[in-house]
Amino acid sequence: MKFIILLFISAALFFTSAALAGDQGFVKEGSKRSITLPAPNITLKEGPGRDVTSSYCRICHSLDYITTQQKFTKAKWMAVVTKMIKVYGAPISGENAKIIADYITTHYGIGG
Amino acid sequence: MESKGVSRRDFIKTVGITTALAATGTIPPVLYASERRLVTFPEKTELLLLTSSPPQLETPLKYFRELVTPNEALFVRWHLSNIPTSVDLDSWRLVIHGNVDKPISLSMDELKKFEKVGYTAVIQCAGNGRSFFEPPIFGGQWMNGAMGNVTWGGVRLKDLLKSAGIKSGSMEVVFKGLDKAALPTVPGFLKSLPLDKALEDDIIVAYEMNGSELPMLNGFPVRLVVPGWYATYWVKSLSDIEVTDKPSENFWMKTAYRIPDDPCGCVEPGGAPKKTVPINRMTTRSLLINPEDGSRLKSGQSIELMGVAFSGGYSIREVLVSIDGGMNWSPARLGKDLGRYSWIQWFYPWQPAKPGNYQVMVRATNSIGESQPLDGLWNSSGYLLNKIEKYNLIVA
Repeated sequence: MKFIILLFISAALFFTSAALAGDQGFVKEGSKRSITLPAPNITLKEGPGRDVTSSYCRICHSLDYITTQQKFTKAKWMAVVTKMIKVYGAPISGENAKIIADYITTHYGIGG
Repeated sequence: MESKGVSRRDFIKTVGITTALAATGTIPPVLYASERRLVTFPEKTELLLLTSSPPQLETPLKYFRELVTPNEALFVRWHLSNIPTSVDLDSWRLVIHGNVDKPISLSMDELKKFEKVGYTAVIQCAGNGRSFFEPPIFGGQWMNGAMGNVTWGGVRLKDLLKSAGIKSGSMEVVFKGLDKAALPTVPGFLKSLPLDKALEDDIIVAYEMNGSELPMLNGFPVRLVVPGWYATYWVKSLSDIEVTDKPSENFWMKTAYRIPDDPCGCVEPGGAPKKTVPINRMTTRSLLINPEDGSRLKSGQSIELMGVAFSGGYSIREVLVSIDGGMNWSPARLGKDLGRYSWIQWFYPWQPAKPGNYQVMVRATNSIGESQPLDGLWNSSGYLLNKIEKYNLIVA
């Protein structure tokens, strides 16, 4: 009986510590290690240009790359979008680049 | 809470509240600017979410009360969106090729046959503390949690390179990991070291963090460790080492991660540098860890201020503490010395005699006299932050 209780306690401790160590999404099988990343969960604020912004920016990164920035001017955001196109090859047209910079500046930037 | 009109001080305090709430188990889904919250990623404890994909996670300061940072608390920072989420050691190989006599391809077992070495070293993101620059700088808005102090174990890079045989005329060594970009137009994340730097004894290919294998998010199965230098060089999930006979033209060396080419690595706030060089050695820093900024203390009660100090590969010679906003400075007691790459803990007993607001400042100096500026130095990428931090403690 004592043995069974001990077994139960150690099993409980094992599962508790596994949960605390953030083992959700981690699998170790022999020589193989795998993780499953939590899905990004960010919704941009309502407004004209939101869908264009979401769909293009999300090609390479989650939208918290926008929402965790400090407040920057439209000129700065335009420069950032231009960098995404020129340096990283983001397939964004000139017209959409302007829509994106306008949208971000209005909702997450400073000035108009 | 709307982000309008939120000052930087409020921003820091809010995150403090986030941490406090997490400890009691009630984590509101949304706190500052709708995005700063504690999250749990695989093999990680609750860390502050900067971005989710590619992941950038920051260590809450409370973990720096320990001399060595636990693996599950170490910060995470990836550049390209397709990070390795699965690695099988049966098929994984570390390849050393390029301007060498004999290209080699090593399994983990083969890698472990090289002599094992190790030490404790601070790992710190080049942009750690970027959110504290004024005027503000675009980029990951790290507070001070993009750092940690870890005991690394692995093999000397030099031994691997010698085993492949470096041909004469070699100039650089280029490092590449398993991470991949979402678009073929995004430059692959390559970093390089000049050959003489790459051959230094202390640069290792690490397969252990604090005696365990690396968490996937910190670069399983191996990562480069360049102690004393910023973590941008510490390539994660390292799989490819190439010796080259010409300087690197890669974006991440030639355009990104560069600092002004002058002794301070700085320009006038808001200005642009004339000439730049790749970022390299870390600046000297010291931080107050406990009690945290904004804490309330009791008048007449003795406490011990505690923090950490480190520099880019030189031992910390002295840590001075001021509790009156920089008017008077006294030396702190230094803790256990784990070597020149580790941070050292500092301790300062204090008994506030009367109620009031106290401004605590800390300043470290390393063995070659490098210290910290009173007012922050500025550069357009938000690197090298090491100004003397100011903390407010309220005594009632």
